[in-house]
Amino acid sequence: MENLHLFGVGLGLGLIVIGAGLGIGRLAASAAEGIARQPEASDKITAAVNLPLFLLEGVAILGEVFALLIVLMK
Amino acid sequence: MEQVGPNIIHHVSNSDIAHPIIHLPTIFGINFSVSKHVFMLWMVAVLVATAVIIPVRKFLGSERSVPRGWMNAIEAMVQFIRDVVVKPNVGPKWVMTWTPLILTFFFFILFANGIGLIPVFDILGAFNRFILQIPASNNHNFINMLLHGGTTVTGNFNVTAGLAVITFFSIIIAGAKAHGFIKHWANLVPHGLAWPVYIILIPIEIIGMFVKPFALTMRLAANMTGGHIAILAILSFMAIFAEMFHSTFTGIGLALFSVPMATAISGLEIIVVLVQAYVFTLLSAVFIGMAINVHH
Repeated sequence: MENLHLFGVGLGLGLIVIGAGLGIGRLAASAAEGIARQPEASDKITAAVNLPLFLLEGVAILGEVFALLIVLMK
Repeated sequence: MEQVGPNIIHHVSNSDIAHPIIHLPTIFGINFSVSKHVFMLWMVAVLVATAVIIPVRKFLGSERSVPRGWMNAIEAMVQFIRDVVVKPNVGPKWVMTWTPLILTFFFFILFANGIGLIPVFDILGAFNRFILQIPASNNHNFINMLLHGGTTVTGNFNVTAGLAVITFFSIIIAGAKAHGFIKHWANLVPHGLAWPVYIILIPIEIIGMFVKPFALTMRLAANMTGGHIAILAILSFMAIFAEMFHSTFTGIGLALFSVPMATAISGLEIIVVLVQAYVFTLLSAVFIGMAINVHH
């Protein structure tokens, strides 16, 4: 039972990947759709997608840092 | 197999402060001794100075109006940062005030990230071991001391926290310069709302002020550390599987899988290096712009 925290970390990492993957997938899908409809607006769409993408990535990375902390600090 | 985890952590963390590379005295309770990452910081500073500051000064002092060679690349990057990152966020009035800071961030982070991908010290270590014939147990050899710990300074949370603190204060200075010191703090919350809203809103905005640099710190450091851990973990499969099946050939066979995989992740890391330098500068510019162009 003393290694139960590793189980939780594995589960948590999976959840982080699901969340971040869904978020990035939605962003990329909408951006691709928007560019396909209006190719001349691709610069604006890319600029608008960038910022939320990085904020989302930051949250996912934070989750991974805390997962690593649980492994290291126990 | 038990050594794999500590080995990976050893590779990405700073060297022990008890055995510094260069001994310096303790002033005001702060130990100024040079550890591995501090040494790398100096190296990055020297590299940025020789690769960016000297060519730019030379070009500005010359009669030429068109740059050539390396200066072309620097000009392209400077123009990209000014026109794509800073101008849309900060606005045309304050571009020239904040572009130098953002450019400094960009070049420092780019060089620090990039140098982490090049195994400089590992090559020096191989040279030391096989040509100079110095054993690994010699703890007083300079190159052997350099081999303790990783080489990506931006993978150290203290370094990125230092960079984020600069962003934190430049947000306040940007707001104070654009609207006046008192008005900047009043601008944090929108005007003309019902008073119960402010009870919730003011603490949220104050927390948000500190969360911005914290997120910047974590994003850069964790991205750089994460890539290195992934590469090392995939390479460690060889040791893990060889021990699990009690056969050297399993390890050698697994190398056919792990080495191409690690190469592919190294290729991904090149993109991450560029993107993270861009992200840090972009978010700094966005936060500075938020203090200047208040949308409430």
